[in-house]
Amino acid sequence: MSATTAPEVESPETPEVDSDVVIETRNLGKVYRDFWGRKKVAALKALDIEVKKGEIFGLLGPNGSGKSTTIKLIQGLLFPTSGRAFVFGKEARDVTKNERIGYLPEESYLYKFLNAEETLDFYGRLFDMPAEVRRERSDKLIRMVGLNNARRRQLREYSKGMTRRIGLAQALINEPDLLILDEPTTGMDPIGSREMKDLIIRLRDEGKTILLCSHQLADVQDVCDRVAILHLGELRELGRVDELLKVRDVTEVHAKGLSDELKGKIAELIRNEGGEVVTIDNPTTTMEELFLDIVQDDRPGSRPSAT
Amino acid sequence: MRIEENQMWGYFEWLIFKFGLLQGVLVVFALALLGFIACYLVAMARYGPSEGFYHVTRVIYELLARDLPGTSFNRVYALGKLAFQEAIRRRVLVIMAVFIVGLLFAGWFLDPSSENVARLYISFVMTGTSYLILLLGLFLSCFSLPADIKSKTVQTITTKPVRPTEIILGRILGFTAVGTMLILVMGILSYIFVVRGVVHDHGVKDVSADGRLGSTTVDARHTHSFEMVPGEDGNYAEGTTDEQKGHRHVVTVREVNGEKTYEIGPPQGLLEARIPVFGELTIFDRGGNPTMRGLNVGYESEYQSYIEGNSLMAAEWTFDNVYPARFSGGDTLPIEMSLKAFRTLKGDIVTGVQGEIILRNPNGRIESERRPFVVKEFSVDHIEIPRKLPGSQDGVPREVDIFDDLVSEDGQLQVVVRCTDGGQYLGMAVADLYLRAGNANFGWNMFKGFLGIWMQMVLIICLGVMFSTFLSGPVAMVATLTSLMLGFFGGLALDVASGDAPGGGPIESLIRIPMQTGAMVDLDLGNPVLENTVKAIDTGIMYTLVTLFQAIPSFGQFNTADFVAYGFNIFGGLVARHLTMTFAYFVLTSVIAYFFLKTRELAAA
Repeated sequence: MSATTAPEVESPETPEVDSDVVIETRNLGKVYRDFWGRKKVAALKALDIEVKKGEIFGLLGPNGSGKSTTIKLIQGLLFPTSGRAFVFGKEARDVTKNERIGYLPEESYLYKFLNAEETLDFYGRLFDMPAEVRRERSDKLIRMVGLNNARRRQLREYSKGMTRRIGLAQALINEPDLLILDEPTTGMDPIGSREMKDLIIRLRDEGKTILLCSHQLADVQDVCDRVAILHLGELRELGRVDELLKVRDVTEVHAKGLSDELKGKIAELIRNEGGEVVTIDNPTTTMEELFLDIVQDDRPGSRPSAT
Repeated sequence: MRIEENQMWGYFEWLIFKFGLLQGVLVVFALALLGFIACYLVAMARYGPSEGFYHVTRVIYELLARDLPGTSFNRVYALGKLAFQEAIRRRVLVIMAVFIVGLLFAGWFLDPSSENVARLYISFVMTGTSYLILLLGLFLSCFSLPADIKSKTVQTITTKPVRPTEIILGRILGFTAVGTMLILVMGILSYIFVVRGVVHDHGVKDVSADGRLGSTTVDARHTHSFEMVPGEDGNYAEGTTDEQKGHRHVVTVREVNGEKTYEIGPPQGLLEARIPVFGELTIFDRGGNPTMRGLNVGYESEYQSYIEGNSLMAAEWTFDNVYPARFSGGDTLPIEMSLKAFRTLKGDIVTGVQGEIILRNPNGRIESERRPFVVKEFSVDHIEIPRKLPGSQDGVPREVDIFDDLVSEDGQLQVVVRCTDGGQYLGMAVADLYLRAGNANFGWNMFKGFLGIWMQMVLIICLGVMFSTFLSGPVAMVATLTSLMLGFFGGLALDVASGDAPGGGPIESLIRIPMQTGAMVDLDLGNPVLENTVKAIDTGIMYTLVTLFQAIPSFGQFNTADFVAYGFNIFGGLVARHLTMTFAYFVLTSVIAYFFLKTRELAAA
């Protein structure tokens, strides 16, 4: 085995981590291998990110960019080929960290033969919660996600949007400090999507940390404080959303009640000073443009493979 | 049916004196060592030598220091309940319907005119239950975890604070609960089916003029004749019928208004759970000296060994703890035997081979008179010896009392059997003659028989869950089935591995095939060094194989249905031993399953 893929020897003691940092990855990498140990795909290369307490952090990237791999590595569902990941200062493979995490998977992987109440009761039990707390919280959550009328129906009868809602309720059953959301708005109608985003922001305001991964650019733009943009397993951009979206060579002037005459004068002034008037309207760049700009060079499928 | 000597052992006798505990510890130790080496080799190939070692020890450390102490009853309960619900909603109760339909139509393929209806019915229900339950356990346990991994529901579970131990225990306990429920219902239905199918009444058909002899009506496809015994006043008050299909009835006479009515009671001897008291068997050779085995009359793996008629050969059973209280007061000493006869001449073919039985005090001074008997082959001969009988002390004839004179101070009694037909042979094994200490409750015995099925089911579930932690559903099923078959038919494999089978170990046997040497001659390669090397390697291979085979539960031994069917009480010691072994396998498979689950990437496609 080559030295580059072997992880560094892990020390059993918990590392020194800033208490403000909720998630930390150090040089985190994952190579998928086939049965014989041959390298198939390098899904994630040397990722270093820090998610701080109380922020909404977005992982953004096209299909196959390593978003889900990152989330699974952080939760210990996959084992890293190199580097390490820490959550609340604990190793990703330490299950006790899960006490404080709520996870909404990409598609709500729930037991279809249970109904909403049984589902929440079951997941509540997994947190060793006493019976009254389970009952009280599942009742509250079922109302919150708007499934009060369907609480005794088996999940197999649920629509996709309803499944997302019960999935969200399941992720909140332990009142987590960290919420990991994989594509939270897929399958939701515009109203549901709006509600989800409002909820995410509300939870942030309550002091919770949220890691969400999405390719719904509008969602990310709407709710995230900071984003990391992944492409082909590499980190391409990392920063505050407002910073990233700032079009640095365009100046935006907001003014009210300008007459057309005054607008003409301003335009003339700019020209006289050597500037160029692009438009007098408000400029908007969007997440979408930024995103396409980053990923346009190559599309998935051209991913390098080491066979 | 034959009761093996090892089945008579008491629990602590097995655990300590027969090295049950030691054997278990050795198997665990050997498996742990082999497992560690195997895991280390895999880890070394993946991470390199020093780091591989670190990875292996870390998993062991985490099991002992984190996951085991962190295992919570509440979570195991939740996961167990989920497995239970999953099974129920996958409609396993259909199994119940299949079983009931089987019982309803049992009459089509069970012969009610069979010689022993009870045995037939009991075998049928117990075999039916075990097939259904074992198949169910197999399917439930092998497919559940792989299905969860495939549907990714396991990801929602493992992102909660759930330990791998809890996933494994929850699965095993949940499926066991489903199976237990089904076995309980099937057991109750079986009991009703057997009792209702066997219990019958007769009426009186005709009685002789003096009221001594009579016959019954035909019920349940047979009829009895009966004989009344005169009471103290000379009137016929009570009698018994002859034995038909393994049972008798008690006949009583009641006089109502000067008219005699005969009443025939329920069948006796049909649904029994005989409590045998087994002894230790010593055979005496032709010179009258104790020997290991008697004569071999020509069958290679004969269970019985034979004594020759009209010679000094004898079989002597020594029984412990013979007290009147064990034999319902001790008015008589019931002895039951099922000896075999081997004839070298036709002789008196009508009477059969004859023998004699003598009760003796172990001090050799007091013995009873010789009691002749004719061997009843293929059935159990029941002899009631009265407490007081003619005998002798130091050769002087006197009346002896079984419990006062023949039983020694420490409760021992010897029973000696000889064959009195010259040229004929009597065959016996240790279980073929026993003192009969009353009856246990038949229902309770049947419960213990079903407990045997339950333990087999638990073993299958444990194996299935273990294999499903690293194999896909169908492959896990094949793996479980393979261990099941090895367990059922592993006797030969174990014989080869332990060197009991002639011909040496695997390599030696392989050399013998092309060389066409017989299995009984020593290996001759013309080079002692080569021979010894082959044998040394074989010993290593065989030692490993024995360990592996012993780690596979031999399912056959948990099957105690024959005890129930043949009317023997299942000994408590045997049940306790089986329960201990089941628990040991449960722990062993759980630990192996833990290591596989812990080191598996559950989100990998």
